[in-house]
Amino acid sequence: MSLVAEAFVTQLAEEQILLSDNASSLAVQAFLQMCNLPVRVVCRANAEYMSPSGKVPFIHVGNQVVSELGPIVQFVKAKGHSLSDGLDEVQKAEMKAYMELVNNMLLTAELYLQWCDDVTVEEITHPRYGSPYPWPLNRILSYQKQWEVRRKMKAIGWAGKTLEQVLEDVDQCCQALSQRLGTQPYFFNKQPTELDALVFGHLFTILTTQLTTDELSEKVKNYSNLTAFCRRIEQQYFEGHDKDSSTTVAARSAKRSLLR
Amino acid sequence: MAAPMELSCWGGDWGLPSLHPESLTVMAYAKFSGAPLTVNTINNSWRAPKGDVPVLISEDIVISQPAKILNFLRKQKYNADYELSAKQGADTLAYIALLEEKLLPALLHTFWVEAENYCSVTKPWFASRIAFPLSLYLPGRMSREALNRILLTRGGPPLYSLTEVEAQIYRDAKECLNLLSKRLGTSQFFFGDTPTTLDAFVFGFLAPIYKVCFPRVQLQEHLKQLPNLCRFCDDILTCYFRLTVLGFAYFNEIKTQAIYDYLRAVLQRTCMLHMGRGRSNAAAV
Repeated sequence: MSLVAEAFVTQLAEEQILLSDNASSLAVQAFLQMCNLPVRVVCRANAEYMSPSGKVPFIHVGNQVVSELGPIVQFVKAKGHSLSDGLDEVQKAEMKAYMELVNNMLLTAELYLQWCDDVTVEEITHPRYGSPYPWPLNRILSYQKQWEVRRKMKAIGWAGKTLEQVLEDVDQCCQALSQRLGTQPYFFNKQPTELDALVFGHLFTILTTQLTTDELSEKVKNYSNLTAFCRRIEQQYFEGHDKDSSTTVAARSAKRSLLR
Repeated sequence: MAAPMELSCWGGDWGLPSLHPESLTVMAYAKFSGAPLTVNTINNSWRAPKGDVPVLISEDIVISQPAKILNFLRKQKYNADYELSAKQGADTLAYIALLEEKLLPALLHTFWVEAENYCSVTKPWFASRIAFPLSLYLPGRMSREALNRILLTRGGPPLYSLTEVEAQIYRDAKECLNLLSKRLGTSQFFFGDTPTTLDAFVFGFLAPIYKVCFPRVQLQEHLKQLPNLCRFCDDILTCYFRLTVLGFAYFNEIKTQAIYDYLRAVLQRTCMLHMGRGRSNAAAV
């Protein structure tokens, strides 16, 4: 069975989307492009509420709705498209481990930076997150989300970390990814897998999003093979494809700067 | 030589030097790297565990989380990862992340949230090692923190009830155990013949599941179906912790049947020797 209908990747509106959500959304887009599946990106302000798990992005295929990269990969696999079939058991274990590393360190660091670092929260997160809503709803919703994320950080022990420690963790994670990638084109040599999509999503977003400081993107830029990896995937899967997805990826609001 | 280092952590039972996964990880790493640590187990004294356990104290430096403790030991030249390549170092980080994301929730659940396990084993054990009246409060707090962590990290929609979350975390934990088993294969340790940081972390997480006797043991049963992981835990216990285990069993309550039998046998032999001597003395007299 193949995916007949187009998949709509729904994400928050351009002005509203935050770093971590954008990273996840880009990862899903990259994955679907790698599987050669047609995808349309649709932006909605209430995407978080539409999603079955409360997280963006989610895809809407026919009458099914699946959210987050893990379940989407399973769903696409059930339909007969898989990027990791050629891997043996040990490699699959490694791939899953590295995906958890990215989720554990990079995604958590992005969330920390967005919601627990006071400067970023005041200048970027609060205005962006509540932008579709009138006052006072915009403030209430963003404070509510901030409280939720801070609770989670406290439970996993990140609340006590300083920004420097978080950036050090990001550096460690990037170092591990860089060492694993080495000089290969993709993480598992010739063929891209969902790990490549996930890493691309996060790293590209970090490199192209302008925050209050450039420290996060500097950490990634230290590793030239990672920047080359992002450029390669961007060129291969996001240019020369239909204009919609490439403009969505490349053209952002004034706050972003391009990779080139 | 570095300054003397003291590790303060939870004690052990059921053949383990410690029941607490993080304490066990640090102790295992210290053994692998040859770091001379004095281990102080928390017992029924007024030096209550403040916050994070395990804690490493070296002169005036106090370090609390396992990752930081291991970093400190590495800086003191006790490095178990000396022979690893860059890629293997990266793999270590990835597998540790896998353990924390997939296995830790189920481990916390088995110890602290599963009602039968908590009430019959965990709570009495920890309460017996904490001074009164903290023993009435601290285990409950640890249990609440564990449940909180599980729900905040894994319990969002579409999982709406605790039973659904539990089913999901045990599924993930079993998958994680399968992945670890495949990665270990037939080799003795994860990266060849010498144990490294990853072996310490895997041992720290697996050994409590493997050894502690709980009423509800679905994770332990799954682990016992993976013989290479069981062999991995047993090897580390016999090679690196044998004396410590016997020492602990002697000073703590003896639960392991084999150790009990061994000591009983020793006692019997000693008694018979005394009685024999007594008789021969009496005969001589």
